[in-house]
Amino acid sequence: KSQYLQKMAANIAAGAVVCVESEIRGDVTIGPRTVVHPKARIIAEAGPIIIGEGNLIEEQALIINSYPENIMPDTEGVEPKTMTIGINNVFEVGCVSQALKIGDNNVIESKADLGKNVILTSGCIVGACCQVNTCEVIPENTVIYGSNCMRRVQTERPQPQTLQLDFLMKILPNYHHMKKTVKGTSTPVRN
Amino acid sequence: MSGTVQMEWHQTPGNQVDSHYCPSCLENMPSAEAKLKKNRCANCFDCPCCMHTLSTRATNIPAPLPDDPSKTTMKKAYYLACGFCRWTSRDVGMADKSVASGGWQEPDNPHTQRINKLIEYYQQLAQREKLERDRKKLARRRPYMPLAFSQHTIHVVEKYGLGTRLQRQRPGAPITSLAGLSLKEGEDQKEINIEPAQALDEVEPLPEDCYTRPINLPEVTSLRQRLLQPDFQPAGASQLHPKHKHLLIKRSLRCRKCEHNLSKPEFNPTSIKFKIQLVAVSYIPEVRIMSIPNLRFQKECQVLLTLTNPVENITHVTLVGCEEGDPEDINSTAKVMVPTKELVLAGKDAAADYDELAEPQDFQDDPDVVAFRKSNKIGFFIKVVPQREEDGDVTVSFKIRHDFRNLAAPIRPSEEGDAPTEAIWLTHHVELSLGPIIA
Repeated sequence: KSQYLQKMAANIAAGAVVCVESEIRGDVTIGPRTVVHPKARIIAEAGPIIIGEGNLIEEQALIINSYPENIMPDTEGVEPKTMTIGINNVFEVGCVSQALKIGDNNVIESKADLGKNVILTSGCIVGACCQVNTCEVIPENTVIYGSNCMRRVQTERPQPQTLQLDFLMKILPNYHHMKKTVKGTSTPVRN
Repeated sequence: MSGTVQMEWHQTPGNQVDSHYCPSCLENMPSAEAKLKKNRCANCFDCPCCMHTLSTRATNIPAPLPDDPSKTTMKKAYYLACGFCRWTSRDVGMADKSVASGGWQEPDNPHTQRINKLIEYYQQLAQREKLERDRKKLARRRPYMPLAFSQHTIHVVEKYGLGTRLQRQRPGAPITSLAGLSLKEGEDQKEINIEPAQALDEVEPLPEDCYTRPINLPEVTSLRQRLLQPDFQPAGASQLHPKHKHLLIKRSLRCRKCEHNLSKPEFNPTSIKFKIQLVAVSYIPEVRIMSIPNLRFQKECQVLLTLTNPVENITHVTLVGCEEGDPEDINSTAKVMVPTKELVLAGKDAAADYDELAEPQDFQDDPDVVAFRKSNKIGFFIKVVPQREEDGDVTVSFKIRHDFRNLAAPIRPSEEGDAPTEAIWLTHHVELSLGPIIA
């Protein structure tokens, strides 16, 4: 338990753009081509977080690997669970995600709230302000929308935000300092 | 308001449709055109899934050049998409269109022909019955010109339609849906025969796996989605086609008694102002709650209210508590003691904020009653004793009596010279909800 607490430095792969104003705590691995906006928070409390490539994590998004509610942080014998996030996901402004397993090409819209027991597969869209805290695996290409969290299945998965990612990777370093990546310097080379 | 001075709270004033417009493209439409298009906008669509407005999106698809099939060039293809539930027109198999607007068609109802034929037949029937009625009425008066006269009445009906008060259906009267239909003048009265509907003995049996097949829940449409398309009422989500957007209307209100126009909005859909706006708020002093102390059961509390004068002349207001057995006093749960003296409100002066040299008018307020005075507003105290210890809000009610001077009325030439307009005293019932009791 104490071993991963000491591993405070985040592993940020080369090619990822992570702003200094973002808060990254614990054992977090971020893949290449991922953009983390300022004021985003990625907190690995109860276990490590592994984020894939091509993800877009916007302002005030909170990705937290927290302890289950009835377990105190000091309990012995608690296995740290890894939170895995796939590729090409979008975490829009202000969303909260505690889901332990998120696949690829998902979009979690603004102020959505994902509970600890949800597992997102691929191509899912969790609508704005929707709270999903059931204990289930959301099937592929599901759209959750509306105040009652209605669901429907769409025929195609949401497109990866390549244009947006490229734009941000060029523009953000002009206005913010970046966190150090594993290989290379703190601010990537500007065009 | 020049004819009658009366509050129209309980009776709904007469409603009239003023103009039709589309809520998303804000396109104005005359009533005749709206009727033709069945009150739907031609350009905008609603998402069949969540009923929001659909937006047109473009993608670039490679398409072969017409001259040289081997080379491909990027062409724009348009599809409809919903921003809320992410429905797209591709979900139901609608092909992408090459034009941005106007390419989308609603699917045809297979029963349209039959319905149209039935409508024609009944139109003719109504026409014939009307002729019979007219003929009977006028048989004595003008035996030589019955047809011409009834053509005239048809003309009158069609010209004025259902818009005038005479034609408006009273609630409770049987609905004559055929009243608006009439043959156009000059059309031959050919006989239209319809086949009667045939009753079938055999009905298609249910499929074998009706009870055993597992339901694919995302594919099942909700009742609301289904009933929004009454033509088809599809049970499967893959048959939900977008429908054109409904038009909204702006309506104008009339007083029932004197037929005066009360509220007439602007014709332009982008404008929210009114051409005529005679609302009670601009004539009656407004009571607002300013501060409420902790309300305790059966303990006297002082609540601070404000009275604002919306008119430009001085208004005198008297407050009276409700009497026992007052029919309007149904909700009050507390006893209230209102100030007994008459309160004087200064007129609303639009330039008061800018005129620093203006002398504050001296009204000699009783400090026990009037807490403060600021241009056309005063704050005053009422004493409230909650009588019921239940959950829910403490409600008090009282009557407010004020003088009203109708400045909009034409000034009658009076022989005495400058006679001021007569004041009419109006009484209104006021109910205030003060929040829960704090134990």
